[in-house]
Amino acid sequence: MTSVPPRLPPAIELRRVAKSFGTVQVCRDVDLAIETGEFVTLLGPSGCGKTTTLNMVAGLEDSTSGDILLAGRRVNELSPVERDVAMVFQNYALYPHMTVAENIGFTLRMRGMKRAEIAARVTAIAASLELSHVLERLPAQLSGGQQQRVAIGRALVREPRIFLFDEPFSNLDAALRVKMRAEVKQLHQRLGVTSLFVTHDQEEAMSISDRIAVMNRGRVEQFGTPEEIYARPATRYVASFIGNPQIELMPGTVEAADGRPAVRLGAQVLPLPGDGRFRPGQKVEIGIRPEHVRLGAGNLSASVRLVQPVGPLSHVVLDWDGGSLTATLPGFSRLQPGERVSAAISPDDMLVFDQETGLRL
Amino acid sequence: MASQATFEQRRRSAGLFLVAPAIVVLLAILGYPILESMMLALQRVQLNAGEIQRSFIGLGNFQRLLADETFRHAALNTLYFSVAEVVLVVVLGFGVALLLNHPLGRPGFFRILLVVPWAIAPVANAVLWKWILNANYGVLNGILQSLGLIDYYQVWLGSPFSALNFLLLVDVWKSVPFVALLLLAGLQRVPSILYRAAYMDGASRLQAFRHVTLPSMRGAVAIAVVLQTIWSLRVFDLVFVLTRGGPADATVLLNFLAYRVTFNFLDIGYGAAIANVIFVLTLLLAILYIRLVRPAEGAAR
Amino acid sequence: MSYALYRRGGPGLRLVTIVGLVLFVVWSAAPVVWLILSSLLQQKALIARPPDLSPANLTLDNFVTVVASAAALGRGILNSLIVALFSTAVALALGAPAAYALARLSVPRANAIAFLVLATQMLPSIAIAIPLFLVISRIGLIDNVFSLGVVYLSFNLPIVIWILRGFFLGIPAGLEKAAAIDGAGVLRTFWHIVLPISIPPLGAAAVFAFVEAWNEFFFALILTRQSAQTVPLVIAAFAGQYQTVFGQMMAAALISVVPVIVLAVVFRDWIVRGFADGMMKG
Repeated sequence: MTSVPPRLPPAIELRRVAKSFGTVQVCRDVDLAIETGEFVTLLGPSGCGKTTTLNMVAGLEDSTSGDILLAGRRVNELSPVERDVAMVFQNYALYPHMTVAENIGFTLRMRGMKRAEIAARVTAIAASLELSHVLERLPAQLSGGQQQRVAIGRALVREPRIFLFDEPFSNLDAALRVKMRAEVKQLHQRLGVTSLFVTHDQEEAMSISDRIAVMNRGRVEQFGTPEEIYARPATRYVASFIGNPQIELMPGTVEAADGRPAVRLGAQVLPLPGDGRFRPGQKVEIGIRPEHVRLGAGNLSASVRLVQPVGPLSHVVLDWDGGSLTATLPGFSRLQPGERVSAAISPDDMLVFDQETGLRL
Repeated sequence: MASQATFEQRRRSAGLFLVAPAIVVLLAILGYPILESMMLALQRVQLNAGEIQRSFIGLGNFQRLLADETFRHAALNTLYFSVAEVVLVVVLGFGVALLLNHPLGRPGFFRILLVVPWAIAPVANAVLWKWILNANYGVLNGILQSLGLIDYYQVWLGSPFSALNFLLLVDVWKSVPFVALLLLAGLQRVPSILYRAAYMDGASRLQAFRHVTLPSMRGAVAIAVVLQTIWSLRVFDLVFVLTRGGPADATVLLNFLAYRVTFNFLDIGYGAAIANVIFVLTLLLAILYIRLVRPAEGAAR
Repeated sequence: MSYALYRRGGPGLRLVTIVGLVLFVVWSAAPVVWLILSSLLQQKALIARPPDLSPANLTLDNFVTVVASAAALGRGILNSLIVALFSTAVALALGAPAAYALARLSVPRANAIAFLVLATQMLPSIAIAIPLFLVISRIGLIDNVFSLGVVYLSFNLPIVIWILRGFFLGIPAGLEKAAAIDGAGVLRTFWHIVLPISIPPLGAAAVFAFVEAWNEFFFALILTRQSAQTVPLVIAAFAGQYQTVFGQMMAAALISVVPVIVLAVVFRDWIVRGFADGMMKG
């Protein structure tokens, strides 16, 4: 994360921003403060309000209530141009009747820039994005990756204060998506322009962002660095949305075993960290990430149901009397379905959520 | 830009600005005539020495309609003509669309053939068919006699029943192409994956037609039916040139009756009443159109 | 049975299709062929029983006579051209922005307005003919090509609006948003982005409107006398006057339909797609 002198106002700030269509509330009281130069991702499933939030920052949709500030200035009533933001769209949204050069230069033309200057700027941008040889082509004649770079070039050419990305990679194939992700990250490292990125792909969000805002049903559930979001999820929802394979969540009840807190899951009793966070009788939900399940030692007895090797790792699905559990092992596992194994989970690795509120304890 | 407005606000105000001229022009052309026509329908209008005299008679014109033998006759003619035309045009149009959707029917030549009757002016069409159907020298008579199907040249437009049906034939000939084009567009929108699925499921071609093609075409057929109904009710030029309503008023359709009452008998109020009946009838069919098409669209999504 | 064969059909279906296509070609082409043939044959060949089609009877005399004698036809074509071009141009200029607004900009009650625009087409021409006639004669514009062209807007504007609205509904919203971000206002977005990608439907709407105006008969019958008579009137009058001079009648009819047939054939794909889109997306 970039360190910023504290007196500068945030590059993008949302204060209790809400949006509803009729009776449907799409965004409820969204609060966000994004520092200058930061790369922030809005992450969530479709319909969670992330694209609407982005559109409100861009000025493409009006908020129902709340304030949107860019560099400390309230911009609710300003049009996209006046906000000086650039945007890369899902499906690229390139103008199909214009050549690559015209696509990139359109925004400058709209600003009344001189022809020669537009040409110079477009040439420079195209060179930096390896598009020089396709400048006279139409978007339909480009590969997916090239189209993507034109969309980025169109955003770059005007040197905006803020970049907005609306699921820009969702239509690319897997390999290209990973490549473009890296290109965008390098671009950000090079230019340092404040960026707000929207995606439903948690891996994409983790790999590209300084900070992630996880959204659910119109609310920001947690706003933090990828590490915070992953290791210390604020809610059960965040824990289950982040991580692949998904975290295992199991309901249980806190007990006192030998004066130390523990949790009963079916017939098994697992010790909890003894730091006084838990009281006996409390209904909780235990979250265990696959990489925290150690096989070969421990008091959990389980049988192997399924082994899924993915190359560097194998995901092993286990059955035990508390339910099922996934463990991640290095390399190709030799375990066979039906084999009995013992497993251990360190109390410090367990994520414990309140069953009712879903908040982490 | 000096005045501050958001994207959505600008689109709202620009929307009104862009739609207004067209609506104003339409209202300027149609607004007064529509109201005036409704007023006329409620009046007795007489021409006295070049002066128009109007007196309000309430629903008098409409009451006259109920007792008017000629109107009833024209209404029945119109009913027969419209129903027969819609059925024939949609069935033939569907057939042609299926033919042109088959690989053998793909060559562009067939589509060229299809737009020609559509583009021919109704008047030119009527003139052409008047010649084809000519009682003394018509090519139809010539062909049928050469084939031995008739002994003597026939006066095709001479008897009431035959005249009405030839009127129908001529209009069907002109109307089939467009409906076929519409239905062909509909056929081409049926996702081919559905046929693949039907094939995998072991459906026969007939079953695929019954369970894939027909249901997918519901919306297109509904549109074709209602558009054709509207067009059938508008037929005028053909009657005017081909038969002038004869023989014995057999080809007087409502539209032509309204014209004749208004311009030949100068019974302007009564003519307006007939025109308004046609309008209401068509509008009801249009509402039906909206009803039929909306659910079909919902199902398609 | 392979999938390809399944789609194409076996010999039975093939035969049915071929027979169907032949019937279709005969049915569609025969009257047009006869129109062309009649216009090229001498009167004596046409009134023979059956018509005598020997090549010796072929002649261009009918065209020569029609073009030379019927000055009305030339004037009619000119009038039709002016009326059709005028009403098509105005309908596009007013209708395209309106269609865009109704399809994409948040105009209150846009769907209701669109339906009302369509509903005007249910109105039989006869219903508005008398009031229109009275108004136009009061301002002294009876028998004037431009007043006729304005009246033709009553159907050409709705046609243009419906065809284009259907297309505009399908434009990806991202394009407009991208243009807004790029600094184009609504009008510049319409001009620089929307119109250039809408050339096929604009062409379809234009051809459609032109054909409708060129072929219109009823309003022309009532609102013109002499100098503003359009082609359909000339043909109808010609058919009444010279109804026994068949070859010349067909030559005149052929001359009158050739321009629109050429347009329709050249732009056939646009017309089909444009109209189908416009209607299906109601």
